[in-house]
Amino acid sequence: MAALVGHRFPGGTYRIEHWENFLFSEATGIDTPADGIAHPAHLFHVAINGVGTSITEIFDLVGSGDGSPVSIDYYDWQIHQPLREDVTYVLRGGITAFERSARDGSPIRDSFTYEIQIDDPSALRVADVAFRWHHWRPAEEATR
Amino acid sequence: MKVAVGEAIPPFRMERVTPERMRTVAAIFRDPTPIHWDRDVTRALGFDGRLLNQTPLNMAYVINMLMAWAGPTCVRRIRAAFPQPVLEGDSVTAHGEVAAVSVHDGGTLAVCDVWLERQDGVRNLVGRAWVALPADTD
Repeated sequence: MAALVGHRFPGGTYRIEHWENFLFSEATGIDTPADGIAHPAHLFHVAINGVGTSITEIFDLVGSGDGSPVSIDYYDWQIHQPLREDVTYVLRGGITAFERSARDGSPIRDSFTYEIQIDDPSALRVADVAFRWHHWRPAEEATR
Repeated sequence: MKVAVGEAIPPFRMERVTPERMRTVAAIFRDPTPIHWDRDVTRALGFDGRLLNQTPLNMAYVINMLMAWAGPTCVRRIRAAFPQPVLEGDSVTAHGEVAAVSVHDGGTLAVCDVWLERQDGVRNLVGRAWVALPADTD
């Protein structure tokens, strides 16, 4: 698992359409922000989908694709420029850290840190998105 | 906009977390995780068949509070952990308090402790937000 540190996602682009900003903002309980501003909490799915992967692919990559539990340690989003609708963002990123916690007889906790950078079309940095997920394994998988 | 350390941010309340909103967000996120739509799965996990809200949605409630307080482009950074899930039917309220104020790039930045609290007082999200405050216009 530690060998996954340094893994790079394919990279890609993402454009937030008005309809998804409208529906997402509504789901959070507010009106769509004015003037084409996209809700900042789009960062989660813009980062994952825009960098050319998916939640399913990440789970498969780190060995949680069998439905074994995943929990969230933290999200850390740095926003340098407001997210906007109808801008084609450029994304790159990968797995930057791994930590295994294991105690005798207890499930193993594999913690991966994912970091994704989001730039606008002029290469201006818009956001740095980091998140760390705990992937839980049965104790007998300690040798993987 | 002037704020002081210890000042409370006006809260944002989500009166009732609903499956319909979770489904909308799951579709937008392309998130197939069944805890957001399959009651058999959440029953097996010990949540009595109640669906679990997406954590970015929980984060969004806090961001909504901050945007209502300081404007739609105010959030410069937010870092949060999620000690307890938010479940279908929960009522949750985002809270915040100014922890520090500094001048940053010519503007004023408020560092705020933020949290999301369930109806029974359990905190589902705890974190910190860095918020750019709008300049005074007077």
